[in-house]
Amino acid sequence: MNYLPWVTAAWLFAVGIYGVMTSRHYVHLIGCLTVMQSATYIALLSVGYRFGSVAPIFYARSDSTPAVDPVLQAMVLTDIVVGATVTALLLALTLQVHKKRGTVNPERLRPLRP
Amino acid sequence: MIDPAAATLAPLPVAVPLLAGALLLLVGKFLPGRLADALATSAALLTLVIDARLAAQTGQGPLVYWMGHWQPQGGLTLGIALVIGQAQAMLGAFMALLFAASFVFAWGYFEDIRAFFHVLMLILLGALQGFCLTHDLFNLFVWFEVMSVAAFALTAYRLEADPLEGALNFTVTNSIGSFLILGGIALAYSLGNALDFGALAGTLAHRGATDPVAVAAFCMIAIGLLIKGAALPFHFWLADAHAVAPSPVSVIFSGAMVPLALFGLGKIYWDLFEPVPAVQLLMRTLFLALGITTTVIGGLACLRQRHLKRLLAFSTVSHGGILLIGIALSGPVALGGVLLYFIGHGLVKGALFMVAGILLASAGGVDELWLRGRGRPVWPAGILMTLAGVMLGGAPFGLMDSGSRLIGAAAAGRPEKWILMAMVLGTACTGGAVLRGAGRIFLGLGAMAGEEARGPTDEESEKPDRPLWLMMLPTAVLLVAAVGVGMPHADAMVLHAAARFLAWDRSASVGPVGPPLTVGAPQSAHPFMPWLTLALTVLIAAHDLGRSRWPKTWLRATDRVLCSSWFTAIDRTHDGVVGDYVLWILLGTALFSVSSAVALYAG
Repeated sequence: MNYLPWVTAAWLFAVGIYGVMTSRHYVHLIGCLTVMQSATYIALLSVGYRFGSVAPIFYARSDSTPAVDPVLQAMVLTDIVVGATVTALLLALTLQVHKKRGTVNPERLRPLRP
Repeated sequence: MIDPAAATLAPLPVAVPLLAGALLLLVGKFLPGRLADALATSAALLTLVIDARLAAQTGQGPLVYWMGHWQPQGGLTLGIALVIGQAQAMLGAFMALLFAASFVFAWGYFEDIRAFFHVLMLILLGALQGFCLTHDLFNLFVWFEVMSVAAFALTAYRLEADPLEGALNFTVTNSIGSFLILGGIALAYSLGNALDFGALAGTLAHRGATDPVAVAAFCMIAIGLLIKGAALPFHFWLADAHAVAPSPVSVIFSGAMVPLALFGLGKIYWDLFEPVPAVQLLMRTLFLALGITTTVIGGLACLRQRHLKRLLAFSTVSHGGILLIGIALSGPVALGGVLLYFIGHGLVKGALFMVAGILLASAGGVDELWLRGRGRPVWPAGILMTLAGVMLGGAPFGLMDSGSRLIGAAAAGRPEKWILMAMVLGTACTGGAVLRGAGRIFLGLGAMAGEEARGPTDEESEKPDRPLWLMMLPTAVLLVAAVGVGMPHADAMVLHAAARFLAWDRSASVGPVGPPLTVGAPQSAHPFMPWLTLALTVLIAAHDLGRSRWPKTWLRATDRVLCSSWFTAIDRTHDGVVGDYVLWILLGTALFSVSSAVALYAG
């Protein structure tokens, strides 16, 4: 088992969450969330990866060719769609909150507090 | 066993709301008058009927439905199954009822903005049903995510500053939760090479029993669900989001979404990770301790609020803690209690958020101190609020009480006696806070405010010119159901469903099901426990409302305790800054890591 992808995933998650905690601008914060999400892509892909295998497309190959696990790839695709949705929603919310409050600093956006 | 006609109903609880949502999105622009309201309400009612029929059919065995007929072949499980047992179908029916009531309550609320509200709500209903019925780990994540996105958008629906800020906190914290779930799924798949609960559970029981990776996978999924389920220290987003969401939406958030995330945690535990000894140990210690802390801190924070919806949000935190206690106690009696408490609490809390909505629409505010005496014109709402407050505060009748008796009975078998004490305290604080609100708003009592005056608040109102009876009707219906009218054997029913869930749900998708567990009649924890809770509830409300009449020395003594730095620290941690909430999530994760290491070492 190769530990490099797991170390990479943990590192991306850690720097992402540090960025989320210390961010002073919501667009930057959303970028940090995307970095955190990249950690999940890498973790999922590394679980399904097989050395010396091909992509799970059998159009021009025999069915017995060793291929990487297609289930994980489908999961990553779903994950990317979900990530895009959440990012779009967050950016829309940020835009709206800027119109109302004139700031996008997370420290100054506190619900129910003037 | 199962009527073949019922088998074709299996995917419909998910499909009906989603299709109705898609239809409304398509034609919402052209629909005249209140047709969108009617269509959404009927879709929710249809889902309710389907779920009720499925619950009636699955008494003798769960219904397994493979999406697109992708059944397991030669030991390989690629397809996604819905496994519908009586427990899930009952919860599904309850959630559909809550949605129907909420749609009626919101009749005419959102007329200016096409039918987007209904579309989002129907997607949320479909996602909740899918989350409840699915038997596949990744599918569970997908429904979790669909429900989250719909919920984020619904929170910010009014597009004003406070709702937007609440929605941002909600989105950021819950997205981190979903990343953790996904990481946990990756780890679980790396152990078992399957996603179906039944197929994965087999390998986890074999190979994962002593593997730290199995414990890590469970912890990551559990933290994600606990963020959504608002357990300490992951609960911070909830008070912000539930306080600012439109009241018909808060009904669903508090009544269905948050408790369902906790039920999801139970499902992951019972279906997948129960054979792992270290996870069992974590459940008995860490999760129980978190449940107890959540119950007490949620209750105390609830007492210190003046914004009615925020007060109710903290009460949801506290009662979620009781559900977590029930899940951590495990076993059929505790699970039966969890099912009943889930439904009973959802009905009561839904009704309470509707009362808050009635006040927002007719009195034009939601601040308890400002509302003092202004609720008199809508006095019937006061009766409903008092009834709901009494049930929330542990009165010895209704579904919530039966549920907490069952959880208490499961807890009584344990050496930790403070489980019951925490339940009494949390329940009494939340019930006391609601009764205090009812007394102040509808009777004009409590001119002198206590600690709650320092709570955060806001001026808001909701669309005024809606007929009062149309808002009162669903509130009353929910409360009548919560009292348990027409459900004399609710206890026996949930115990039956819980025993079957525990015996059958895990392996239902991979093989024939064995005989169900038999459950004896549970012994009651303490016959006077509900009375004690209710007495404490009334005492707390009376103390807060009668401040001007109590002796000065008594008030000074209680205030010295309640204003102490320990109690004000609770307020200060709920500061509304998302970075701090994420730090708390990180600290919670660290707590889980240390506990897992200890559990692995001990096991």
